[in-house]
Amino acid sequence: MKVNPRRSLVLALVTLSLLAAGVGPIAAHHSTVPFDSTKQTTLTGIVKEFDWTNPHTWIWINVPNDKGGVDLWGVEGMSPNYLGRRGWTKNTIKPGEKITIVGRPMKDGSKAAMFMSATLANGKVMTQSGQPTD
Amino acid sequence: MENARKKLSGFVAILAAAAVMQVAASAQKAPAPPTAADWSALAKLPDLTGVWEAALGGGGGARGAAAVPAAGARGAAPAAARGGTAAGPQLTPEYAAKRDALRGQAREDNETANCLPPGMPGIMNQPYPMEFLLTPGKVTIVIEAYTQVRHIYTDGRKLPEDPDEKFFGTSIGHWEGDTLVVETVGFSPLTQLAAGIPHSDSMKIVERFRLTDPDTMSIETTITDPKALTAPFTSSRTLKRHRNWTIAEYICEENNHNFVDESGKAGIKLDNAGTAPKK
Repeated sequence: MKVNPRRSLVLALVTLSLLAAGVGPIAAHHSTVPFDSTKQTTLTGIVKEFDWTNPHTWIWINVPNDKGGVDLWGVEGMSPNYLGRRGWTKNTIKPGEKITIVGRPMKDGSKAAMFMSATLANGKVMTQSGQPTD
Repeated sequence: MENARKKLSGFVAILAAAAVMQVAASAQKAPAPPTAADWSALAKLPDLTGVWEAALGGGGGARGAAAVPAAGARGAAPAAARGGTAAGPQLTPEYAAKRDALRGQAREDNETANCLPPGMPGIMNQPYPMEFLLTPGKVTIVIEAYTQVRHIYTDGRKLPEDPDEKFFGTSIGHWEGDTLVVETVGFSPLTQLAAGIPHSDSMKIVERFRLTDPDTMSIETTITDPKALTAPFTSSRTLKRHRNWTIAEYICEENNHNFVDESGKAGIKLDNAGTAPKK
């Protein structure tokens, strides 16, 4: 395949600028406005449920609070269609398992976040990026 | 006896009326059924069949790991934001004002958050695959996102002069050499020309689909709209064929916690947290 170096450079710059602008290829269904893209939150707890559903997957996780109880947090991820082509299955996140999730918190402080990564009980780190598998 | 004859003549009259109606219906000329030659002619066309997904910039996920928000942005991002041309649509003063008025409302999201499909042209820019099917006289695009279908007639019919307004418009297609050229008119006012930009009733979309190598397809999309645009707006994207893939179901209403309200405020419904329908 012939590669035009100048064209490749332009393409790379365009891609970089799009990523910098936060306009990513992973985009669908709704805006990210409710989430604070400048912050990260870390949630460690016991998985209550994993919804392998459209339009988004949801991890429901009971996270210990400072009152000695637990709070139920919801973490929104990409759809099963999208993740299923990138190494995930409905069994990737298991109810009853202790996991740690990093996500973008809600601006309004409610107990939800947008998924960025999860460290499973076996130490495996799951993200949503990567090229699809054939 | 007399009664039976009356019944019989009544029956004959009904039959005659039915026959007249059938003649009237067939005056619209039903298309001839496809022949073996029609089916084999398809084999001579460029093979656009199969499951395709946007490559770089359109859902291939070519990006860094956890550093980027992943759950999603808008349903109808402009082509320029998805690996298309850098220049945006050039608007007439009237439509620039409409765009600015929309911006002024500062809506945080569009109706896709409530599961309304984006329609054309946004539906062709989703981070999900599409399956192309070629049958005699027709190209069908099965779109995974929102479980949508486009019907493109390649049987020589003309575009309607006064089309109904549809999310996908009304499409016809023809082949120019190795390129499938699709013309579409008649769009619902609920669809957008590009993100945040309304279209008029004169919008027309021309798409050119062509293989650039055996498993790569380019789509060049040109939008004209004499009322909204001062120049045609062209964008392009590249799709990769995934021969092992199948189209999955996507029922947006299955478990949607996102919403945008009438004032344009976007949010997440958590009152039904963790109560998705069980398998």
